Amino acid sequence: MRTIISFIKKGLLPIMCLMLLFSSCDNFVDVELPNSQLTAPTVFEDMATANAALTSIYSKMRDNGLLSGSPAGLSHQLGNYCDELDFYGSPQTSTDYFYTNSLSAVESSMKNLWTNTYNQIYDANAVVYGAENSILLSTANRNQLKGEALFIRALLHFYLANLYGDVPYITTTDYALNSTVSRMPVATVYSAVKADLIVALDLLPESYVSPNRVRPNKYTVRALLARLNLYQGSWDEASNDASAVINVIDLYALEPNIDAVFLKDSPSTIWQFSPALSDTNTEEGSTFLFTSGPPPMSALTTDLVNSFLPSDLRRTHWIGVITDGVSTWYYPNKYKNTLTEGGSMEHSIVFRLEEQYLIRAEARAHQGDLIGAKEDLNRVRTRAGLADTAAVTAQEIIAAVLQERRFELFTEHGHRFFDLKRTNNLTTVLSSVKPGWNDDDKLLPLPASELLLNPNLNPQNPGY
Amino acid sequence: MKIISFYKGSSTFWCLIIIGFSLSHTPILANKLLRQIQSLPQQSQISGTITDGTYPLTGVTITVKGQQKTVVSDFDGKFTIIVSPSDILIFTYMGFKTVTMPVDGRSIINIRMQEDATTLQEVKINAGYYSVKEKERTGSIAKITSKDIEKQPVTNVLAAMQGRMAGVNITQTTGVPGGGFAIQIRGQNSLRSTGNDPLYIIDGIPYSSESTGSSSTASLLGGLTSPLNSLNPDTIESVEVLKDADATAIYGSRGSNGVVLITTKKGKIGKTHFTANYSKGTGSVTRFMDLMNTEQYLAMRREAYANDGITTYPRSAYDLNGAWDQNRYTDWQEELTGGTAEYTDLNTSVSGGNSATQFLMSGNFSKQTTVFPGDFRYKKGNIHVTANHESDNKKFRISFSGGYTVQDNNQPYLDLTRESRLLAPNAPSLYDVAGNLNWQNNTFTNPLRHLNGTYKALTYDLLANTVLSYNLFPNLEIKSAFGFTDLRHDESSTAPSTIYNPSLGIGSDNSVLFLNTTNRQSWIVEPQLNWNKLYGKAKISVLAGGTFQNRTGSQLVHQALGFPSNSLIYNLAAASNVTITQNDESEYRYQAFFGRTNLSWDDRYILNLTGRRDGSSRFGPGKQFTTFGAVGAAWLFTNEKVLKENRILSFGKLRASYGTTGNDQIGDYQFLDTYTTTGVAYDGVVGLLPSRLYNLAFGWETNKKLEVALETGFLKDRIFFTAGWYSNRSSNQLVGIPLPGTTGFTSVQANLDATVENRGLELTLRTVNFQNNDFTWTTNLNFSSSKNKLVSFPGLEASTYRNQFVIGQPLNIVKVYHFTKVDPATGIYQFEDVNGDGEINETDDKQTVKDLNPKFFGGLQNQLKYKQFQFDFLFQFVRQENYNANTTFNMPGTRSNQLASTTNHWQNAGDVSPHQMYSATNGVVRTAYFNYTESDASISDASYIRLKNIAFTYDVPQKWLNKVRCRLSLTGQNLLTFTNYKGADPEFKIYDYLPPLKVVTAGLQFTF
Repeated sequence: MRTIISFIKKGLLPIMCLMLLFSSCDNFVDVELPNSQLTAPTVFEDMATANAALTSIYSKMRDNGLLSGSPAGLSHQLGNYCDELDFYGSPQTSTDYFYTNSLSAVESSMKNLWTNTYNQIYDANAVVYGAENSILLSTANRNQLKGEALFIRALLHFYLANLYGDVPYITTTDYALNSTVSRMPVATVYSAVKADLIVALDLLPESYVSPNRVRPNKYTVRALLARLNLYQGSWDEASNDASAVINVIDLYALEPNIDAVFLKDSPSTIWQFSPALSDTNTEEGSTFLFTSGPPPMSALTTDLVNSFLPSDLRRTHWIGVITDGVSTWYYPNKYKNTLTEGGSMEHSIVFRLEEQYLIRAEARAHQGDLIGAKEDLNRVRTRAGLADTAAVTAQEIIAAVLQERRFELFTEHGHRFFDLKRTNNLTTVLSSVKPGWNDDDKLLPLPASELLLNPNLNPQNPGY
Repeated sequence: MKIISFYKGSSTFWCLIIIGFSLSHTPILANKLLRQIQSLPQQSQISGTITDGTYPLTGVTITVKGQQKTVVSDFDGKFTIIVSPSDILIFTYMGFKTVTMPVDGRSIINIRMQEDATTLQEVKINAGYYSVKEKERTGSIAKITSKDIEKQPVTNVLAAMQGRMAGVNITQTTGVPGGGFAIQIRGQNSLRSTGNDPLYIIDGIPYSSESTGSSSTASLLGGLTSPLNSLNPDTIESVEVLKDADATAIYGSRGSNGVVLITTKKGKIGKTHFTANYSKGTGSVTRFMDLMNTEQYLAMRREAYANDGITTYPRSAYDLNGAWDQNRYTDWQEELTGGTAEYTDLNTSVSGGNSATQFLMSGNFSKQTTVFPGDFRYKKGNIHVTANHESDNKKFRISFSGGYTVQDNNQPYLDLTRESRLLAPNAPSLYDVAGNLNWQNNTFTNPLRHLNGTYKALTYDLLANTVLSYNLFPNLEIKSAFGFTDLRHDESSTAPSTIYNPSLGIGSDNSVLFLNTTNRQSWIVEPQLNWNKLYGKAKISVLAGGTFQNRTGSQLVHQALGFPSNSLIYNLAAASNVTITQNDESEYRYQAFFGRTNLSWDDRYILNLTGRRDGSSRFGPGKQFTTFGAVGAAWLFTNEKVLKENRILSFGKLRASYGTTGNDQIGDYQFLDTYTTTGVAYDGVVGLLPSRLYNLAFGWETNKKLEVALETGFLKDRIFFTAGWYSNRSSNQLVGIPLPGTTGFTSVQANLDATVENRGLELTLRTVNFQNNDFTWTTNLNFSSSKNKLVSFPGLEASTYRNQFVIGQPLNIVKVYHFTKVDPATGIYQFEDVNGDGEINETDDKQTVKDLNPKFFGGLQNQLKYKQFQFDFLFQFVRQENYNANTTFNMPGTRSNQLASTTNHWQNAGDVSPHQMYSATNGVVRTAYFNYTESDASISDASYIRLKNIAFTYDVPQKWLNKVRCRLSLTGQNLLTFTNYKGADPEFKIYDYLPPLKVVTAGLQFTF
């Protein structure tokens, strides 16, 4: 008996104590977080990590979003969808569907356009939430984060509404709510865009927070507001917003050298995407440039090329020519370097001053300020080596501005398509060049799987 | 083949037999002589030796009838005991007939015990936290022992289990040493392909089966490395597989896919003895494909170009345009994978001990080369130590077991199997006259270029386990198990510039090195209480315990590019560009309380209740704990009075069980709202992005298991038959639930209300066909058939799973085109146009469902024993369909060799033939060809019957070698395969990797 007692004292008691110790710790199964991951709240308690969360949205937009210069981005796809580009690449690819006007709701690239964009919106909402709930970040930092995130959210929804018509405007990260949302009328989406931009305008500084204008500032927000107001026909506001940008002569000026407009330090750039590596150029360069015919993907339509006056510097400097002796092909030569070639010369430009001049010209023409309108229009024409416009009446000026937009902004984020659409010229212009084009084609199809997963998104856009 | 010489000349052979026979009978003669010696009527010490006729038996229990007195025989079969002359001794030993022998006044009693193939019902089965006699178990447990494992020349214990256990389906993923195995116990339960591993427990310690490799370094293996390679099969005493709810519910959340319990060998009482086991053998590929010869091949090529209207052969058609010798023929399969792998295995152990303390130490070294050309090998070294101690008062016990394994694998960068099948039969020789790799003026992409790259893996694995127990009261035992594991796996693969054709001008600035380091540590503490009590006819045993487990892991994957010279390729510092592609850490914690109550009444009715309350760090607050449990019952109806004396039916048991188990194999931290680095920079800052939509509210996958089984023994159990039927339903599936894109993601980790059902029938039959003193012949048959079915899946049509699953069908299906015929008019493959739109396309017309699960599988084992000779063989059989060789080749007519049967093809309008026209460039033919490879014509019967294992052993009579025991053995693995499979070997997970090898080894074992 003694041995038992002594054994219990010596050996067993510690074991039993150990057992008690373990059973008393209720949170045994709570673990520390690994160093390779960060929780959402901690990300927004340090400006370095919060910045990384914000800028990763830009890299997503640059690499695979609507605004990407890659073949899947709008610059390439909408160029083929309307009358800017001819497609020579493989049949049954997403661009071929755009080019042949045979978009399908079940096609995977259509789904990617939609889901990638809402994924970027999610990230923006996560930054808005993180910034609003941060304890340790300074007010200035929180404003910067929230301002940029709201700008991203507004910008993406603006494009969605222009592509799909009525779309849901997502302002939260709660998937339970977001999985049952309904489509909102375009006007409601536009007001939400406007509301977000007005908040962002207050939050963002006038100066750029980093070199090369790769982060949006107050004037980038203004530039988008100008475009939004233009699309809505709010001429006064469009004109004022464009002026607010154009007047900042300390920052912005038209680049006089036609070959330097798309270089990374161009003074006409308002906002551009930074490349992923310090020695790379743009996706646009890789998408559009080619060195031998027939083109691997897309070439400019002869109709567009021939519309330029021969003396137009943009015809000679922004368009490249390739010939094999029999056929001749043209390519957009705005960006002159492919992604990986020869040092970082160019960044992907999203907003530039030329558009603001053209916005104000159009708005002023509508307002009746014909002199002002012509002045703005001529600024752009002069740089292209052209004489002043011959347009006289408001109607003529407006038409001239739209024509000028075609020459100035070709293969840039679908400007041509959106311009035709907002001026109700889409079907008139495209039905002659695109067989089977009809009015339903102004909207893209919602991915069919999205309608199955969330029936509240019904009905599908007409024609699909 | 050293031992073969032993059999030279039949006279020696017969001599051996005669001597063996006479020797084995000497103890019987001795018995008769000794019987005449008288002894005193007082208590006196008697001694003796116990043998099985050949060898001494160690560990035989000797009890005196009606008394508590017990002794055990030592290593030499010797025992001593103090008894009265009138006492009666009882000798019992597992697997042998019990001998009752009156002392009769003798002082020396020698016993020869006879093996009994029908006593398996008394064998104790390890059920994890407790053990149970085979006849009393209520759950479904399959077992193999070292007897079966030792006879197989394998390096992974899973290979030794193939074909031997009902309900356990094991497939070897590659014949390259160090590769992995896929195991499924009673079918696929989880929709996640990664969530179907069983739980492995080695000597009580959970052993993570998560792969240690990285896909960027282990491309050679066609899957990732299996951590179970760290275990040396020679050290394993037994493997038990727990299958039904009754057996697995005590493992709760981890028991859903079954539990594999591995028990290592322990030391035995007796004087110190030493065993050395040496075996050497060879391995080669089981089956090659029957491919075209040069004549057939070139005829095909010429016809293809003729069909395409091409008369001037293109520059790249080296096989035809004169760049290569058109009279040359090489059997590339033979050349590249037809080598002989060498197997060497040396195993030594020392063991011994007294009744209080026993120990065993063993060391093992094995080496295996490959069938590829070049100097590649897999080496494994292992030490294993166990010690057991019991205090004098038999109340305190401690046991320790520990193992340390080092694996060193050195293999080519890529598997050559696929290239060996595709290479043109007239391709040039591998080496030029100077002995360098031949690129044939830059026309030949030499397959041996892959050998310039290397796959290397070094794995260090430590496993230690201690169990302390103490009998507080006669009926109450308190014990605690402590375990520790530490694994480090360093893996690298290199792709130096020399793997490219030198004409491409690729220099060492394009050489690439991949490095992967995986570390994993775990500890576990499991305190337990055991209580047993007899109340008249009732027997109660109760077990209660707890588990605390912690596992930390980390993985670091590097990619280094560009070296000043290929000789510096392993030097990260020399690389011009080093990227860290993965840097993960994880911690997993697990806590549980478990219990078991077993009630037995009169050895007739048994009720077994088990339960477990589990907590896992893989779930969010409020979802961490869940309770699992099962009830099992058995009725031994042959213990009822009516049947007790039945002469035909010797054993009968009906058992049933029902319960729930769970599955938490979803990876760590999935419930947390976290950000992960993207690795992509913007404005010089590497981005952070939300890892996932976070959901705090997901919980365990649950698997409800039901089983009914009948076990019957006839004619004193010489015929033993069991039949089990099970139905498992796995629900609450943890998958990414599909979400609309407006949520920002396509899915969220949550419990989907989908149900997967596995039903099946398992039959085993064991017969002792013949049994007498010298000759025994036993047969074991196991058969499993199962049906896997996706019962429900809400929202399947809208989800990303819609092309993968079909409700009502098994999970492991593929949807393919239905091949109809080769159009006699055009000579092109035709497929069923399901929606009749005149076009063949993926979404609409791939509607034929093919089930790749086995319909049934099993094994038939025979064991014949005649005196010192033993002969074992096992046939494994599987009935299944799988992808055939059509998926291997490129379009017939292109520069790719083909099956010889492809020569039967369409040539002229009106031809009716199985294969379409040859073509090298025609787009229509090509599209039809691709559709063909994704049609039901490319999935065909892959059933096989295989002589999985054959073993012949001979025990050299001991007297010859003076106390040294010697055993000679000849074993073979995968020696014969019977199949109609259209392809190489029907056993594979991903096609075109090296199939399992057939291996023959000869072995020599000494014990003294």
